[in-house]
Amino acid sequence: MAKYESAWSRSIPMREQWHIFKRLMSYTGAYKKQFGGALVAAALLAGMNVALPQILQYFMDHFLTNKSATVNILLGFGALYALGTLLKAFFQFFQTFLFAMGSERGLEDVRRELFAKLHTLGMRYFDQTPAGSIVSRVTNDTMTLADFWNVILSVIVGLFSVVSSFVIMFNMNGKISLLVLAFLPVLLIVIWYYSQYSSKVYRHMREKLSELNTKLNESIEGIGIIQQFRQESRISREFEATNNDYLDTRKAMIRTNSLLLSPIINLLYALALVAVLYAFGLQSQITFVEAGVVYAFTTYVANFFNPMTNMMDSLSSLQDGIVAGSRIFHILDDTEYAPAQNPGASKTITTGKIEFKHVSFAYDGVHEILHDITFVANPGETVALVGHTGSGKSSIINVMMRFYEFGTGEILIDNVDIREYSMTDLRQKLGLVLQDSFMFFGDISSNIRLFNEHITDEQIHAAAKFVQADRFIDKLPKTYHARVLEGGAQFSSGERQLISFARTVVTDPKILVLDEATANIDTETESVIQEGLRRIRQGRTTIAIAHRLSTIKDANLILVLDAGKIIERGTHEELLAKQGRYYDMYRLQNGDAVTD
Amino acid sequence: MGIFKKLSWYFQEEKKRYGLGILFLLLVAIVNLIPPKVIGTLVDSMNQKGGIQTGQLMPLLGLLVFAGVGQYVFRFGWRNAIWGGAAKLEKTLRTRLFNHFMKMDATFYQRHRTGDLMAHATNDLNAIQNVAGAGILTLFDSLITGTTTIIAMIFFVDWRLTLFAILPMPLLAVMARRLGMRLHAAFARSQAAFSRLNDKTQESVSGIKVIKTFGQEKEDTADFDQIVDHTIEINKKVNFLDALFDPTTSLIMGITYVITIVYGGYLVTSNAITIGQLVSFVSYVSSLVWPMFAIGRLFNILERGNASYDRVAELLNEHSAIIEQPDAIAAPAHGDIRFKINKFAYPDDDHATLTHVHFTLPEGHTLGIVGRVGAGKSTIFKLLLREFDDYDGVIEFGGQNIKAYTLEALLDAIGYVPQDNFLFSTTVADNIRFSSFEKTQPQVEDAARESAVHNDILDFAEGYGTLVGERGVSLSGGQKQRLAIARAVITTPELLIMDDALSAVDAKTEAEILDNLRQERANKTTIIAAQRLSSVMHADEILVLKDGSVIERGSHDELLANDGWYAEMWAKQELEQKIGGETVG
Repeated sequence: MAKYESAWSRSIPMREQWHIFKRLMSYTGAYKKQFGGALVAAALLAGMNVALPQILQYFMDHFLTNKSATVNILLGFGALYALGTLLKAFFQFFQTFLFAMGSERGLEDVRRELFAKLHTLGMRYFDQTPAGSIVSRVTNDTMTLADFWNVILSVIVGLFSVVSSFVIMFNMNGKISLLVLAFLPVLLIVIWYYSQYSSKVYRHMREKLSELNTKLNESIEGIGIIQQFRQESRISREFEATNNDYLDTRKAMIRTNSLLLSPIINLLYALALVAVLYAFGLQSQITFVEAGVVYAFTTYVANFFNPMTNMMDSLSSLQDGIVAGSRIFHILDDTEYAPAQNPGASKTITTGKIEFKHVSFAYDGVHEILHDITFVANPGETVALVGHTGSGKSSIINVMMRFYEFGTGEILIDNVDIREYSMTDLRQKLGLVLQDSFMFFGDISSNIRLFNEHITDEQIHAAAKFVQADRFIDKLPKTYHARVLEGGAQFSSGERQLISFARTVVTDPKILVLDEATANIDTETESVIQEGLRRIRQGRTTIAIAHRLSTIKDANLILVLDAGKIIERGTHEELLAKQGRYYDMYRLQNGDAVTD
Repeated sequence: MGIFKKLSWYFQEEKKRYGLGILFLLLVAIVNLIPPKVIGTLVDSMNQKGGIQTGQLMPLLGLLVFAGVGQYVFRFGWRNAIWGGAAKLEKTLRTRLFNHFMKMDATFYQRHRTGDLMAHATNDLNAIQNVAGAGILTLFDSLITGTTTIIAMIFFVDWRLTLFAILPMPLLAVMARRLGMRLHAAFARSQAAFSRLNDKTQESVSGIKVIKTFGQEKEDTADFDQIVDHTIEINKKVNFLDALFDPTTSLIMGITYVITIVYGGYLVTSNAITIGQLVSFVSYVSSLVWPMFAIGRLFNILERGNASYDRVAELLNEHSAIIEQPDAIAAPAHGDIRFKINKFAYPDDDHATLTHVHFTLPEGHTLGIVGRVGAGKSTIFKLLLREFDDYDGVIEFGGQNIKAYTLEALLDAIGYVPQDNFLFSTTVADNIRFSSFEKTQPQVEDAARESAVHNDILDFAEGYGTLVGERGVSLSGGQKQRLAIARAVITTPELLIMDDALSAVDAKTEAEILDNLRQERANKTTIIAAQRLSSVMHADEILVLKDGSVIERGSHDELLANDGWYAEMWAKQELEQKIGGETVG
């Protein structure tokens, strides 16, 4: 059982973080156009942010200080500024939009890769991993990546802004610009300290939040128990404690942000402004200081500091991204692959003879579930597997369907190793009818056809008719186009079983593998199902797990399994004559058949 | 604005906090007026011959330092007050909701699924706390900063220029509002697309075996890719609208700047204002951007908060149908049980689940109930446990109608082992002493022994301290059932109900548990519902249920003699036992 891990309670080592970071960044490579475009727009935007105050400065120093502005000049500068603003708006739009689209496409790529990867994994993986956690990796964790990449954008935007502001200040007044630069180390220390401190607080907060939601969820699900045992007040008290803990961590986060985020950046800005104005003040005593220069310079000082808040605020997303990334890569790097065929396997099944030769199998490689299974099913013959739950019946099917790799021994089809057939051929020629008939969202047709577009509507109707599923389908409001909701809950298990038969029949497999349903099905449907099974088996090699022994009386070979071994074998008559386990079982069911 | 009124109880409760927060906002706004004015004054002074005198420079810079430090302190103040207030509101509402959940009846939980209730307790509360945080901030910040800045512009610079310059600003609020609405709609579609993606993934994972069987991995992946493509298209719209926010602001503010350049420039040239005043003015304009923009967003915050508040209030307004009588009996229930139900149907179901189920169970006796899935066994227990009160008939415990007891008096007398044996993610020991935390470790172990799970527990890595659930040990169905039995028997309840509680336990263990129960609960009443007849064969009376009615009743021997459904089942199960079907499905 894969243990559920709260990624928030585990701190990931620095090296691994760096690794995950690099790997996540590699997904942006496919969208160079979007990301590159966004960065160009960001650079141009930084340029515009430098240019606009320059326009004002020029206007002030050349036309306002000496009061020489004519109406034309006024309007001209107005128009120039308007044009500049228009450009700025354009750059802003493209910076945000292109980057967002790059992120979107990048994260969807991760989704696609994850999904495709899932289909290469073996059944073992799905046995061990809760479905909910897999789904959450594919959908929620990938979602986090957009914010993660956005951190990069805000860092770059911040960098552009700092550099461009500094360069222009340096050009305007080298000495005074160095005064501003002197604040940079302080700024870096603040950023470093904030990122260190806030990440701790943030992690703590997330941990508490997940604890809170787990408690909430569990209390709702377990409400029956809580109420029956009159534990409402205790559970409420416990919840309140967690609720308070979470509030405390949130307050700590608010305090951290209030102390170290935008207010402190603002304070630094104010102090830098004082330094700059002091320097200009002193200079003005010696030479003339133009109004526009002071205006522009102070604006640049603001541009120098402003993006920092945004950047620091986004740092927490960096952590979210790393955590999500570690979980995503955990799946992408999983090697619990589905069993592979031999390289270059390309044989195709023609007659459908099946042979097991001394096959052993263990799910975990240690505890054997099948021991030394040997039998032959000649083309067109039926081999039935009987035995109680856990005797190994399903395991035989699981290894034959290549859901799991078997251990020692050989499985031959048409006298050739099963691994020599291409997977496509195996899937086409081996038709498995599952015990629980899973239904997909869609309609009846799509549930019979699945994704095989070569199957025509006529074939679907014929298949349904063949297994007598048409009886209930024709009664549905939209017959073959009747909607199937999630899990097919609106159909009875018998009806679902029939659909599942039709699903198999329509692909016309050479070999049929039946896992007979044990579910309670009403007698009328039951007889339809039995008839359906009889029809499907005609002319096909069949390996059947049977619970109703009456259905396999005519089997060519019956294998009685116990604890992974074949303990009896023979035809119905032979086994009855033996008066062994099969005999007992048959007697039991016969009694059952009489009374049911 | 209705939402503020709905939340007024909270603001009243926290009036000091919010008063202080708003005061700090006011102080920030006032202090914020200083730098533009100081810069403007400095500009004018520097433009004089000989520049600015140090004696004039220093006080002005001092003022700036004061403004900087003041801002830091006041910002810290309001952030703590207002964001803290929002967090506290969320917490308060969450507590309320949780306590409400604890009180609600089975009907409530039939109507609302866990996922929905979780969504209310997370998303809706988040939207509401946003009103108390960002909502309050935006409202007051916009008003205060807007007003003070405009006053400063009029006083320190020029009223005509101010009037013209702020003309485009309402447009900012309007645009922010409209974009916000469209974004909200687009976002809802994006959410729907996300759900679809989620459902698709869920379905593929659940149906993985079918997909593998039919070799449709590639096709399923292609289908997923198509859904992803669709998602990208929808998110494109969201990103587009989202990317419009900043440019729109820039453009509208651009108009203001252009007006300032043209008309302000004219005023400077005509000596109506100084150039320093113009510099101040430009600064003031930039501090108006946020408040105006925020007003537009305010409406979205309030709307969402309002809708969420209504949903939560609606939940809180639902009442449990299970009501204690005013003079309810508080003494623990004990004695004979008389169950006389003529008819019971679940709410919103016209078809009766139980019809004419009558039995009397004398104190100390054991009743067995058998029948197929859906025969109505669990329903009998639900009525006994007062999960539903609305039925035709009467149920008595110790000669009193069960409705006459307090819930505490009734339920404390009953130990219930449900079919789905839900366990909590805490330690094994705490799961067993779930109903009475004061039980000691030896008592816990006794209960575990009685339920034949003690040895299993000792095998766990940390024994009784082992965590159960997702983060802890994964238990087999049988272990879960036995823990659930231990949880119910630890208080030696007057009435023990086992609802198909031994289905995953093998025959030997079942016999052991039943044996223990007979010894430990010699004078106590027990009801056992089961599919396996060996669980009930020793009962004083056994009811066979079919479609909600009793079709056979009597002791084991009587029922065998009766040669009906029970006898058939018995023969069948006995044979099964012989064949060695130890592991029952």
